[in-house]
Amino acid sequence: MAAVSIDRVHKSYGSVGVLHGVSLEIDDGEFVVLVGPSGCGKSTLLRMIAGLEAINAGDIRIGDRVVNNVAPKDRDIAMVFQNYALYPHMSVSSNMGFSMELRRFAKSMIDSAVGRAAATLGLGELLQRRPRELSGGQRQRVAMGRAIVRQPQVFLFDEPLSNLDAKLRVQMRTEIKALHQELKTTAVYVTHDQVEAMTMADRIVVMHGGIMQQVGPPLEVYDRPANKFVAGFIGSPAMNFFDGVVAANGAGRYVAMGGDVRLPIPDNSRAEVGRRVTYGVRPESIRIDADDAGSVPASVEVIEPTGLSTLVYSKVADALVCTFTMERPDLERGQPIRLAPDLARVHVFDADSGERL
Amino acid sequence: MAAPEPAPARQRRLLSAILEPYLYISPALIIIGLVMFVPLIVGLSYAYREIQLLNPFSGGFVGLANFAQLYGDTRFWRALSNTAWWTFASVSLQFFFGLGLALLLNKSFPGKRLIQAVVFLPWAVPTFLSGLTWAWLFNPVVGPLPHWMSAIGLMDEPVNILSIPSVALWGPIIANVWWGIPFFAITLLAALQSIPNELHEAAAIDGATTWQRFVKVTLPFLAPMIAITVLLRTIWISNFADLIVVMTGGGPADSTQIVASYIFTQAYRRLDFGYASAVATALLALLLLYAVIVLRMRRSLLRAM
Repeated sequence: MAAVSIDRVHKSYGSVGVLHGVSLEIDDGEFVVLVGPSGCGKSTLLRMIAGLEAINAGDIRIGDRVVNNVAPKDRDIAMVFQNYALYPHMSVSSNMGFSMELRRFAKSMIDSAVGRAAATLGLGELLQRRPRELSGGQRQRVAMGRAIVRQPQVFLFDEPLSNLDAKLRVQMRTEIKALHQELKTTAVYVTHDQVEAMTMADRIVVMHGGIMQQVGPPLEVYDRPANKFVAGFIGSPAMNFFDGVVAANGAGRYVAMGGDVRLPIPDNSRAEVGRRVTYGVRPESIRIDADDAGSVPASVEVIEPTGLSTLVYSKVADALVCTFTMERPDLERGQPIRLAPDLARVHVFDADSGERL
Repeated sequence: MAAPEPAPARQRRLLSAILEPYLYISPALIIIGLVMFVPLIVGLSYAYREIQLLNPFSGGFVGLANFAQLYGDTRFWRALSNTAWWTFASVSLQFFFGLGLALLLNKSFPGKRLIQAVVFLPWAVPTFLSGLTWAWLFNPVVGPLPHWMSAIGLMDEPVNILSIPSVALWGPIIANVWWGIPFFAITLLAALQSIPNELHEAAAIDGATTWQRFVKVTLPFLAPMIAITVLLRTIWISNFADLIVVMTGGGPADSTQIVASYIFTQAYRRLDFGYASAVATALLALLLLYAVIVLRMRRSLLRAM
């Protein structure tokens, strides 16, 4: 096991920049998730750690060793690919033992290592099968088995669950996390699915446009997004945003939207009067409440019951607002309601830079 | 429960159910039968008759006489061993050069599209034209090859290898290799490109060297394609007399005669269609036997995938 250090790493393909000076310290045994929309550079960064992409500038260290010019096979890493990349002409056990076979381990050692990994992953019955005789979830497990057999310094996961159906994805997510808690090997995990990032990570790295937007524990990223991009990307259903200008009256500052709607902002916000801002509030931080003094008028558009909860979409001025409630409110389309944002959970971002104020 | 049908009606229904699919495919079957099987059977039937165009009284049924003559024909046995050589040398050289070319073309480099187009050019050259060109290239009067070979010491003096019985077969083999490399390059390149890149990356991370990746990932992936192309080309080349007929005409002294060109010589030079057909029957039987063996091999290869 080893720490991974990424120091001011740049990557470009010709004139197209992909990563613009990314720095990140990953502790020994940590599970770090790189998350972002497609094209944000997260996979490129992972492939640079793996040695599958050259580094244009900066350094990557695994343990104490700078690995910029070290071949993938000498980095002591293991990688799980999105489409598994199992060798189709080899049995499950040969797939899993391939790396040890190449390193000329004794047959008995390979067999016992494969046996142990297979037992951990519940693959014991399948060892003689070919990959094409396995289901998607089983293939995924074999790919993970291939990674853990060798006990590498670092695990790299490149969107390993994207090819699975929704139910299996949730199950495998739990399995990977449990596996990490058992093995305690440093892991770097790339995904575009923010739910995977939230549920699995010790720390989340949110990336966008080749730049790290925010690094932190999942709940910190969720509760205090550093900018509007992170706020909108993390969380499902997504945060509501309103554009307006900060104004003040006797009761305090508020954001004035069109249609004379006034959204109250917390006292500790750095948003000064006159600044154009984006006002953000998560669906679960809005109450449907007629009595609150800071509430704003809205009219119900769509009601989506999920059983567990209810999503209420309503119109405030021209903006569509999503509200999340664990109750089952008795509402119908067109009904006028009043929405009250939870002041402690309101986020104000600069309208131009998107930075948190 | 309905009353049981009378037996004749049920039988009639069963019969029409069996015949119906054949009715639908009968137009295709009839056409294939007319253009393929009828000429084939007529051609093979000549092997049991005496048909010499120069002898107006020939044409009678002679049983296995043509085959008996074939058995004692030293020129046929020599042609057969030449065929084995010609096919083995041509296919293996075409294959190795084609595979090498495909591996090179599978990398990306500037000007790749142009190189790719140029590489595939020989395939587009008519065989008669390439045969003539190579015959001239080997000819010391007009071609440079003998002079080059004597300059680097492969020959004592610039002579035409096509006129030396011991090595003459190499002339058409070289022309054939040149002409056939693109076929292997195209098909193997297509197969190479169907190998997902992640497999190479996974192997690289697993610790495979370039050579190990080639042997343990690339080759097993290519194996079914290699088997089918080698099978096709073997049959094709062992039947392929164009270059030999154009370049040497089977000579000197039948030293470059393969079975296919021997058939051609018997039929169109000596105008003995009966005997030519007997030789052709023997060749057909050998190739069918070969095809059955290789198809079996391919099936077991595919099962191993």
